[in-house]
Amino acid sequence: MTRPYNRKKIFMATARALTAQPAPPAAAKRRDLSGLFGYVLIAPPVAIMLLLIFYPAIEAVIETIFVSDAQTGQTTLSLQNYIAFFQDPILRANLTFTVLVTLATVFMLFVVGYPLAMYLRFSKSRLAGTVQVLTLFPLFVPGVILAFALIRFLGTHGMFDTLLGIVGISGYRTPYLQPQGIVIALVWEHIPFTVLVLTAGLRQVEDAVIESARDVGASGWQIFTRILLPLTTRSALIVFCLNVIGVFGAFTLPYLLGPAQPMMMGVSMQQAFNNYQDRIGALTQAVLTFLICAAVGVLYVRTITRPRER
Amino acid sequence: MPYRKFFAVTLLVGILIGALIACSSPSAPPATSAPAATSAPAATNAPPPSGGKSVVNFYTDGDTNISDWIANKVKPAFEKAYPQYELKVTTVRGVGNGVADIAARAQAAMQTGADPQAEVFDWDPRGRPEYIQAGVFEKLSPANVPNAKNVPEAYYLSEYGMPYRGSQVLLAYDSSKIPDNEVPKTFADLVTWVKAHPGQFVYCRPDKGGSGGNFVVRALYEVTGKDPKIFQSADPDPKILAEFPKAWELLRSMHDSIYQNGSYPAGNNPVLELLANGSVSMATVWSDQSRQALDKGVLPPTIKVVQFTDLPMPGSYAPLSVVAGAKNKQGALDFVNFMLSVEEQTSVVKDIGGFPAIEWKYLPQDLQTQFTSVITNNVPYWPGGKWSTERDKGWYENVATNIKQGSP
Repeated sequence: MTRPYNRKKIFMATARALTAQPAPPAAAKRRDLSGLFGYVLIAPPVAIMLLLIFYPAIEAVIETIFVSDAQTGQTTLSLQNYIAFFQDPILRANLTFTVLVTLATVFMLFVVGYPLAMYLRFSKSRLAGTVQVLTLFPLFVPGVILAFALIRFLGTHGMFDTLLGIVGISGYRTPYLQPQGIVIALVWEHIPFTVLVLTAGLRQVEDAVIESARDVGASGWQIFTRILLPLTTRSALIVFCLNVIGVFGAFTLPYLLGPAQPMMMGVSMQQAFNNYQDRIGALTQAVLTFLICAAVGVLYVRTITRPRER
Repeated sequence: MPYRKFFAVTLLVGILIGALIACSSPSAPPATSAPAATSAPAATNAPPPSGGKSVVNFYTDGDTNISDWIANKVKPAFEKAYPQYELKVTTVRGVGNGVADIAARAQAAMQTGADPQAEVFDWDPRGRPEYIQAGVFEKLSPANVPNAKNVPEAYYLSEYGMPYRGSQVLLAYDSSKIPDNEVPKTFADLVTWVKAHPGQFVYCRPDKGGSGGNFVVRALYEVTGKDPKIFQSADPDPKILAEFPKAWELLRSMHDSIYQNGSYPAGNNPVLELLANGSVSMATVWSDQSRQALDKGVLPPTIKVVQFTDLPMPGSYAPLSVVAGAKNKQGALDFVNFMLSVEEQTSVVKDIGGFPAIEWKYLPQDLQTQFTSVITNNVPYWPGGKWSTERDKGWYENVATNIKQGSP
């Protein structure tokens, strides 16, 4: 990490020298008042978060770790619900499945998102505008509509199957009701966010940096691995964290496009709660899902609060 | 800033396209139902119409097919047969708790002696026994609804609800691919057929749609001596539950031969889709849904339906209930009686693809001939509730998965 870091420092120094920016305006004078005012401004959202997110979350945790005996009515602190979860092969399979689908989806998002973001960042052609519109398009399509469209497009005897048939390829197996179906749909749904954040990260890399690297003879691949990747780790981490959290708790698309078994945690929770009327079981699953997402959330918070390496 | 402008344009275009998709999508019934739902309360508060007609307020929270049929077909026919009445159809689908809220209003009106502004509900009062106990609903029998004498005893769910239309799960198949002599007649035939034709049959997950749920129930009947009556109690009998694994074994033996090696769709409609686009050539479907899909051309005309001849798959009857304290109770009873007339029962079959609540023998001969493959006076009743929980849990843990429950 040290070598590219040093290099980066040099490049950044060059870049700053080339684009000499004005110093930020001093706001020291009003600090004493604005501090208090700031707290007042953020009080409502914080209160809503405490009431609607933290309070139910803590209540859920408490309810799952304090088990009351049906006969004596005594409550004891016990991990019984969690042990039951991990002893159930079906639920264990659901959790593993969710982790695998999430990792596959996020990996595919990087594979698709990075080239798109690089194209949008560096292309000067008029086509770039069209590509951007297409990239952002999934943002405006509701999940249910997407699922319906994918079923029609990717299903057996769907449009894709028909097109393959025209060019003489047979033996198509539809991803509908398979794990691949979930991954395809979730990747499509999360592309806009991924590309937006990655493009924003790439825009912070000044042209001068790349030009000077090119001047010293760096190849395209070297520029990508030594400059663009290290300089966009922050954006990449943000993309990773928020996508993992979003995908892990997905419900609509896995519900409509996924297999009956194993199912993703969102679907599994809904089933435990609605069909089996197993409130505590659903809560236990929710707490576990929440813990995994919270761990990723911590990584996210650390990423955005870490001072920029400049 | 050109970037901002670009972003705004993108947003606008996206929203427009999104709206376009949403409008053209066939899955947008709320748009059509909204006006009916919102204009309804105003209608009930309107002064009595001129001409001395008395109003019969009818409430339904049934699907669009039912509310459209009542408003466009039944209403004119009823008002023609009984010129003294005006039928006010109010759709409360998706408004609060639907008809249950109107029932609560009727109870409140009963306590204060006010006009409940409600006569007939397209609703099963058994869901809210507290209203029945409070006396909100009128007991219905041939004594006050003469045509009820033609309704078989077995269709009655309670004395407060008069069955008027039914639906049953049937076996649908593509007659262009399956010759008539190959079509399974019994459940055992079906199992053999499915194994001989891998990937050609599908049913939906039992908890996601009744067409799959009742198919699984039929498998449960198969292993418990084909007697639906043993499933009547509210609490599952452990002795019967002990027989369930045999059904899982039976269904599991078909698993690999189901569409895409055991891909069970998440609902009744996805199954119809698979049948419509030729992905499968046989599936279990609801009688009314398949009938309407055929009428609208969603299913090709080559799709035919049959029922098992040894023991049919389960189904259910939708009842009408009458508010005891209704201002126009005679109108309400006349309406229920009218719905059980041969003409309206024919309409149930022809217009909404339902099953008649009176015996088939009272219906026109040509209709009986047309439906001969599915006619049965035996519609097994599945109690649902905890029984369904056991059914779904067992199916997910033993049929849909490769994991054996209880193994480490």
